[in-house]
Amino acid sequence: MSTTVTGRTHEPAPVQEEPERPPSVPAWRRKARPYVLSIPAVLIIAGILYPFFLGAYYGVLNYSAINPEPIFVGLENFARVLTDSQFWGSVRVTLVFAVVATGAEMVLGVGVALLLNRASRVGRIFERVLILPLMVAPVIAGVIWGLMYNPQFGVLNYVFGLGSTFNWLSTDLALWSVILVDIWIFTPFVAILVLAGIRSLPRDPFEASEVDGASWFYTFRRLTLPMIWPYILVAVIFRFMDCLKIFDHIYVLTAGGPGAATRTLQIGAYEDSIINLNYSLGSTYMFLLWILVFITARYLVSVLGKAQRRAAGAEG
Amino acid sequence: MGTLKVQGLRKKYGKTTAVDGVDLAVENGEFFVVLGPSGAGKTTTLKCIAGLLEFDDGWIEIAGRNMSGVEPYHRNVAMAFESYALYPQKTVFENLASPLRSGRTGRYGAEERRRRIQTVTDTLGISHLWERFPRELSNGQRQRVALGRVLVRPADVYLLDEPLSHLDAKLRAAMRAELKQLGELADITTLYVTHDYQEALALGDRVAVLRDGRIVQVDTPEQVWHQPVDTFVARALGQPEMNLLDGRVDGGRIRVAGGTVSIPVPPALGVQQRQAVRVGLRPRDISTGADPGAEPPGRLRMRGTVRLAERLGRSVEMSVDVAGTPVIVVVSSDNARPEGDEVDLDIALEHVHVFAGGEPDVDTPRLGAAGIELGKQA
Amino acid sequence: MSTELLPGRRRFTLTSVLADLALLAWFTFALFPILWMVLLALKTSAEQTSTYFAFSPTLENFGTVLSARGTELTSVDFTSTLITSVVSCVGAVLVSLIIGVPAAYAAGRWKYRGSNDVMFTILSFRFAPELMVVVPLFVIYHQIGLFDTRVGLIWVLQLVTMPLVVWILRSYFQDLPEDLEQAALLDGYTRRRTFLTVALPLVRPGIAAAALLAFIFAWNNYVFALILTGNEANTVTVAITKFLGGGGQAYYNLTAAAAVIAALPPLILALTIQRYLVRGLSFGAVKA
Repeated sequence: MSTTVTGRTHEPAPVQEEPERPPSVPAWRRKARPYVLSIPAVLIIAGILYPFFLGAYYGVLNYSAINPEPIFVGLENFARVLTDSQFWGSVRVTLVFAVVATGAEMVLGVGVALLLNRASRVGRIFERVLILPLMVAPVIAGVIWGLMYNPQFGVLNYVFGLGSTFNWLSTDLALWSVILVDIWIFTPFVAILVLAGIRSLPRDPFEASEVDGASWFYTFRRLTLPMIWPYILVAVIFRFMDCLKIFDHIYVLTAGGPGAATRTLQIGAYEDSIINLNYSLGSTYMFLLWILVFITARYLVSVLGKAQRRAAGAEG
Repeated sequence: MGTLKVQGLRKKYGKTTAVDGVDLAVENGEFFVVLGPSGAGKTTTLKCIAGLLEFDDGWIEIAGRNMSGVEPYHRNVAMAFESYALYPQKTVFENLASPLRSGRTGRYGAEERRRRIQTVTDTLGISHLWERFPRELSNGQRQRVALGRVLVRPADVYLLDEPLSHLDAKLRAAMRAELKQLGELADITTLYVTHDYQEALALGDRVAVLRDGRIVQVDTPEQVWHQPVDTFVARALGQPEMNLLDGRVDGGRIRVAGGTVSIPVPPALGVQQRQAVRVGLRPRDISTGADPGAEPPGRLRMRGTVRLAERLGRSVEMSVDVAGTPVIVVVSSDNARPEGDEVDLDIALEHVHVFAGGEPDVDTPRLGAAGIELGKQA
Repeated sequence: MSTELLPGRRRFTLTSVLADLALLAWFTFALFPILWMVLLALKTSAEQTSTYFAFSPTLENFGTVLSARGTELTSVDFTSTLITSVVSCVGAVLVSLIIGVPAAYAAGRWKYRGSNDVMFTILSFRFAPELMVVVPLFVIYHQIGLFDTRVGLIWVLQLVTMPLVVWILRSYFQDLPEDLEQAALLDGYTRRRTFLTVALPLVRPGIAAAALLAFIFAWNNYVFALILTGNEANTVTVAITKFLGGGGQAYYNLTAAAAVIAALPPLILALTIQRYLVRGLSFGAVKA
């Protein structure tokens, strides 16, 4: 193979000459590579962490629009918030919302996924539009449901024959009605994740179980559920954490009312800091919510890690 | 073309040591094979040489140039990956053209590129696949394209990582023959890594046996085969594995199989009275056709009962019970005996390897052979 | 052979009919609100509260919402909020891609000290209560003049788009066999060219999925624009609620028309990346 070779290659180098050493990169520069690539992201992180820490700092000031020269007040805000029954009301509302909504979405989502996995003709058509509610902005969902809930002209009272006085957003019902909206939006999220999980499962155990004549329920409990458990947990993490900081659809539907019936922690913080312009009080709310989110996240992620290891061990 | 030197190469992944002080010196134009079981550190060694992995200690020299800190694209090294590593979004032709287009393996016009690719694909028999994508190829074809991407360019060293491992037995044999030809043709320094002893013996000018990140032996294929340095190398080469019989030196003879078999010890072996030793017999060195009777000089005779006979194509693998010690023997089907038959085993003394004794799972060094060894001048 | 094992034979059993009915029930529930939104958008102001399913449909509302007359009626310039939404969401996604792709590559390719810290800090943005950051930003933005600007929105939307882009792409880069890039390095290409010509093209589906999903979630975001914008840089999600009135007349039909317009981009985009949605929605945790 005769070739025209120019300068940069090392093809037959003259033997007697001391060969030229190709350029080398010092070790520290090679090690620095991933850091260099991450610098812009770290800057963004810093830009977001700055207001975050500032917010935490507001918690120990008495900063508000009417008091623009704040002074350090220590844990006064925390003492005030933690002894405030309205705060604990918000905690209760938030937890009820998160637990009920997440639970219902899991049950319904797994159910829808199992039904779609049968791949009936009806199912195949519906699967294409499964995603739609999830893609509608929660605000828009809140607006639409608000119109449907309306006692006078809302379609729900008409369809279910409830007359024009039944109030879906009354003190007693409002929390359940906003949970229903959350279920409407986010059940597809669970269903999509779980359906993908079911479809990724190996077929052999199910065929064996069918040959053994196991009942549907037994197969589901002993086989399907343990195997899709990691997928369900991923969904639980996303949903539960999102529910803790729920805001959009509640705000447009009820703005926390009636009274404080749907006043979740983020709604409460919004009222305090943006409507009443008491930044320190709102930040205290948020800081406490953040702690709740943080603890929950750590717990859920460790559960997920264990489940994934167990699932991997079961397959390997 | 160029030489390749590796000294004291060490690489850890977390707490496990993958490569533990490897030294290699490959001559210009040599076809050098590294043989080792999976996990021995073969691929890690190759990738360190190519500059693809950072290593902890050691020193690499290619074509007389120190390669510390040199980027892979400046090393003038070509490598075939075990996974083929073909660009999935590119056709066979574009895959092969990739090294020629980078400008670092030489400058080529479109015409010259085409000509080189044509030559290589003709040699490998894949010229009809130019326009195909890797996903449209069989494993054998992908393997050839991966080799082609190495051969199409000039380089100081070719690094080939298990290039035949994913092929079925038939194709592997054919490709082995082809590689042998290519190696002779290209005459480029080649470091070839494999777990298959047959490839190593067939292809290598020299063979290095790697175990747990250390090189155990470097020799020509003949030497590695006839004079393995220890029981690990001896067992690594040959299928079925070498028979290892525990014995003891007694009155100038090694007694194995409960003392029923005794082997004369040449004084050059330097073993002591009562010393524990192991006797190694390759299954294919043993024959069954011997007449019963006196042991001719230079040969070892053993009598046993066939416990198991299994046909492997044209030959038969038999497990022969010699006074309670199983001995595996492979003979041609003409010389095979049915199960339950008494059989006289015969082996030349120069094929009787003697190793130091030791615990069952510990490999021990070779002391020599019971007969005069061929090709060894002590 | 027993016919019970033949697939297709079981389609008309009682359980399969019940299963289909259950699906039908779910999808009635899931699709009705969307249908209702469209119906409402087609009603005239006279019919908006007095009819349910029987009415004379008109497309007039869409024209009203998109034209300047929307301003006269409701003081909402919906067209300009659409532009704000497009500009700020596209901007936010671009910034996230430019900054996030290298970081995702670094985290997917190398195990370096602190990589997990960086990744989990980014992920924590996804789960952080928005107001924790937005309340101080409300104060800061007022001080430095970013309040009610598109730049301010792009900045704060990183909270939504960045974790998504970085985590999805990291999972794609992790799946990419290292050998391909190593082969390119040995072919004589620099690390930058290897990244640009080998790694990047192969994760293109991931980039597309991450970018579109990030766009959708930025588009659907409400809190940031609600708190950090006034009248100048409102986004569509904020604008919609303003048709509901508060004091003056409530224009439900216009609200619905605006909602339909605002909901269309995410719906269309979601259908185009359906194949990659699972992986994207779970931040790469579920690889289907």
